[in-house]
Amino acid sequence: MSFGARIALALILLVLVGGVLIIGNGAPVASGFQIASLNLPSAKAEKPFYQEEFINASQDLPFVHVASVTELVDHSLAALWYGGPYEHSPENQIYFSKEKDGIWQSPQIIMTTEQVEHDLNRPIKCLGNPLMLPNPDGTLRLLFVSIAMGKWSGSQLNTSLSKDGGTTWSRVERLTLSPFFNLSELVRNRPVRTTEGWCVPVYQEFLGKFPELLWLSEKDGKISYEKSRIAGGCSTLQPSLIPADARRAFILLRDYTKTKRIFISRSTDAGLSWSKPEATNLPNPDSGISGIRLHEGRLLVTFNDATWGRSNLSLALSNDEGRSWKRIAILENDNEKSFSYPYMLQASDGIIHVTYSWDGKKVKEVTFNEAWVNGQEAKQP
Amino acid sequence: MNCNQLHYFYASLAPWLALSLLLLGRNPHPSRLRSIASPLIAAGILLIPLEHFPLVRWIALLESNPSITLTLLLAIALIARVGGPRLFRSQDWRAAWLVGSMASLVLYPAALGLSPFDSYNLGWGPLLAIATAAITVVLLVIGNRFAYVLVLVLLGMIFHPMESTNDWDCLIDACYGIFSLIATILIVISYKISTGHSGNARRKALP
Repeated sequence: MSFGARIALALILLVLVGGVLIIGNGAPVASGFQIASLNLPSAKAEKPFYQEEFINASQDLPFVHVASVTELVDHSLAALWYGGPYEHSPENQIYFSKEKDGIWQSPQIIMTTEQVEHDLNRPIKCLGNPLMLPNPDGTLRLLFVSIAMGKWSGSQLNTSLSKDGGTTWSRVERLTLSPFFNLSELVRNRPVRTTEGWCVPVYQEFLGKFPELLWLSEKDGKISYEKSRIAGGCSTLQPSLIPADARRAFILLRDYTKTKRIFISRSTDAGLSWSKPEATNLPNPDSGISGIRLHEGRLLVTFNDATWGRSNLSLALSNDEGRSWKRIAILENDNEKSFSYPYMLQASDGIIHVTYSWDGKKVKEVTFNEAWVNGQEAKQP
Repeated sequence: MNCNQLHYFYASLAPWLALSLLLLGRNPHPSRLRSIASPLIAAGILLIPLEHFPLVRWIALLESNPSITLTLLLAIALIARVGGPRLFRSQDWRAAWLVGSMASLVLYPAALGLSPFDSYNLGWGPLLAIATAAITVVLLVIGNRFAYVLVLVLLGMIFHPMESTNDWDCLIDACYGIFSLIATILIVISYKISTGHSGNARRKALP
């Protein structure tokens, strides 16, 4: 090749690299978390409130799991879960229910294995772990897991959009988040709104088990995304992201080591970097946890209070940003049953919602306010 | 052709090229009939329906983002095997395996969790495109034809004909990575053997 031809190719290269730089392909990692404002009544004057109910009381399925609850733009609530004959059944479906006038409506099926197979034009083994992102424009972004092969380590993340409040859903899209056959990316815990879109806690459980963050932004229904890592190795998973302000945040982590403790990691740069996870004084039997930050800065976590088994579900409070924790209430305690995968949300009216799998058969919701939390804390020595 | 159809079509190319090469067999000079029939039979096999999906979509279940590099290398190999021009010389193939090995070692261990650093994340920023361009320039300067493949990879990083939006998936996939590592190991072994033999020969020749 002549010298002139090489120069011409080098120029073409420059243009190509310039094109890559200009077009870009990832979602911008957010410059800050958005903290939802609460319309709280005077906390001191508020009466303690506590209530529990089954969201899917009318549903008779052998298996339901991984429930989440979301506050929609109109401040109503919606819940999601998956269910079917058993955990990895191809017949599992994703269910959606809205709360109307304080009553949970009959669950609607919003995603089936057949629909995902049709939309992605490839076979799928089964579905799981749905999560909803209520966009400020009123559209609903659904994230969910599908398993290509094997069990959860063979999972991949998918998304779909609803512009009519969850009645109809757009064609399912696959997110590519791992270079090795795009295997083993899962979602479970509460997403957080950012200046650019959403920050969604995700995790990988293939060769390693470790927590990550998925950064999503959306324009005209088209999403762009990228992810960042919280920790590596075979250590912790299922992160629960708790922003304190635009820059500071905490992550509570399910343990996959022999420590059998809930781990905590901190960020002071809007989630760009995270401290090395440290064990807290709360036990963790390799089970899901969920946490929120109350309006006075205290952290509240729902967890299985044991180093083995999921027969107990409790609440603990931290007044020092996760350095120490105090148990304040037991939500469930029955050695014959299993209570797992809690999901916490504080709605804009200040009411705290905890949903969880009740013995793998029902989705239970516990609701209470900060006055009840204060009362429970005061009862403890 | 909409975006999804483009993704499906692109993801079908690498399996079709690979199967065509396999059907050509090990004969370095296949007959004209076999050269024409193999790609056609490969396409037929990949379109066989299996539980509602053609076989090629079952392959997409595992690998829906074959890299542009792998696809082009398979195409170059197939063109040579069916009697077309030999686009790559041995040094061009060596460069392909070396770049694939380097990319594999940078990408996979860290991306799969070996460290707190996620190398896959680089593919959503400009750094990987710049590094690929730098390697391309070096290969162009030394006259290595693998540079042309990398030019097309850079083009792919702009247009992304695949599902993935990550630039790593334009450059490398697990199949190309594994082939590259095996090929590089074999090249190193054969180099060691050949230098060992010539070294022994030199030593024997010494008085």
